[in-house]
Formats: sequence, structure tokens, C-alpha cells
Amino acid sequence: MASADKLINTYVPEKDVFALHFLQSLSNLRTQNPLNSPDKSIDRVRKIKKAAYVSMARAAGGTSRLWSRALLRRAAKDDNKSVRFSRRKRKVTWKISSKRKRSNQRAPVVEEAAERLRNLVPGGGGMETSKLMEETAHYIKCLSMQVKVMQCLVDGLSPK
Amino acid sequence: MSSSRRSSQASSSSRISDDQITDLISKLRQSIPEIRQNRRSNTVSASKVLQETCNYIRNLNKEADDLSDRLTQLLESIDPNSPQAAVIRSLING
Repeated sequence: MASADKLINTYVPEKDVFALHFLQSLSNLRTQNPLNSPDKSIDRVRKIKKAAYVSMARAAGGTSRLWSRALLRRAAKDDNKSVRFSRRKRKVTWKISSKRKRSNQRAPVVEEAAERLRNLVPGGGGMETSKLMEETAHYIKCLSMQVKVMQCLVDGLSPK
Repeated sequence: MSSSRRSSQASSSSRISDDQITDLISKLRQSIPEIRQNRRSNTVSASKVLQETCNYIRNLNKEADDLSDRLTQLLESIDPNSPQAAVIRSLING
């Protein structure tokens, strides 16, 4: 059902949105685990890293993008929680066509590189190549935004 | 993590033309700082762009890892009376 001229949306929110979500995540972590709890350091790193990715996914649009959906779903599974996803009204991308799969519709060298990309982008495994690229563009922007936020935080916290 | 793989690979969007692929790739290219404009054929530059993208994502993940590390250390060792702690407190509670 994808129209030939569908608009590619790569809008990414401002840095503040990412910062806010991340700080909120961090503060939730602190209330759950007081600083002096016997957590091992590596567990704390893992928790903070996870908080970073989850807050990034939320800031980027939560369940409205395929990659953030996949990321949040993966994180919820890790926590053994179930996340409520609202039904998307829009048609889902990965519909199974009745046509035979044309494996050489694109040059094999492109598909090969796309395969590596699929392993890196959350939810990439189920995406058709053109959708994958759209999601990747958005993912990259959000990821670099999140990294900037974390860098600012680290810079602000580091002793002068 | 097991995401559904090729079993649900849709070929119904195979009608997307090469023009659109080019357009998408140029959009992707704009998101990556290192890519230079490449005058070579579509196929070759496409796979190069995708490769650069993979590298870029891996770098970002690595940076996020390192920053998580440092952030954890800083948060653990922060002196509650320092100005930094006050900043954090105000940010988190504000």
C-alpha cells in the first residue's frame, strides 16, 4: 500500500527533549537504587546505559517509529515487563505479499551491506530495505543527539 | 533478541524505483558527516554509504558505552556537597 511518493519523515526533536528524558530516567534509577546499595559497578553501568537507550527511544517518539518500538520492546522483555503498545492505525510495514520474493531486486552488494545494517538498527530484521534506510537515518540522528547529551552531562559533572 | 527476519520480508514494496533508493540514500548520506559526494554509479556508492553507516552506528554505540562508564563513575564518586551535585540535584528535581 506504500504509495510511490511517500514522504520520508526524519524529524528529530530538540536536544532538550532527549536531555529531559535522560535525566528523568537517571532520577528514577536513583530512587530505585540508593547510591550506597551493594550493586556492583558493572551493573550500574549497564543500568545507566539501558536508561540512556530507553530514554532516547522515548524522546524520539516512543512507539511511533519502528526502531524505537523494537528497542522499547526489547528493554521491556529484559525486565520481564509487558509494555502496552497502542494499536497503530497506520498500516504496518512488514506485510506479507502474495508475490514471490524477488531476492535480486537490488544489487547483491547493496543487500549484503543492508544485512549488516539490519543487525545494528533495532527492529531492522523485519524491515524492507528502503524502510530500513529511513529508520536508520532517524536512528542515527537520535543516537548522536543522545551521545551529545551524555557528553554534556559528563562534562558538567567532571571536576574542573 | 530475535526479531523476525526474512520470513516476513516484504517484497510488495519492490515497486520502489531506483530513483527513490537514490533519494533515500542521499537522505541517509546527509545524516552522516563523513560521507563525501560520490560521483560513481548508484550501486557502488549505495553499498559504500551503507558501510559507512554501519561504522558510524558502531562508533556511536561505542561512545555511548564509554560515556555510560564515565557517567557511572562520576555519579558514584560525586561529593554531595560539591557544586556539581547541586547542579544535578536541581536538574533532576526541577
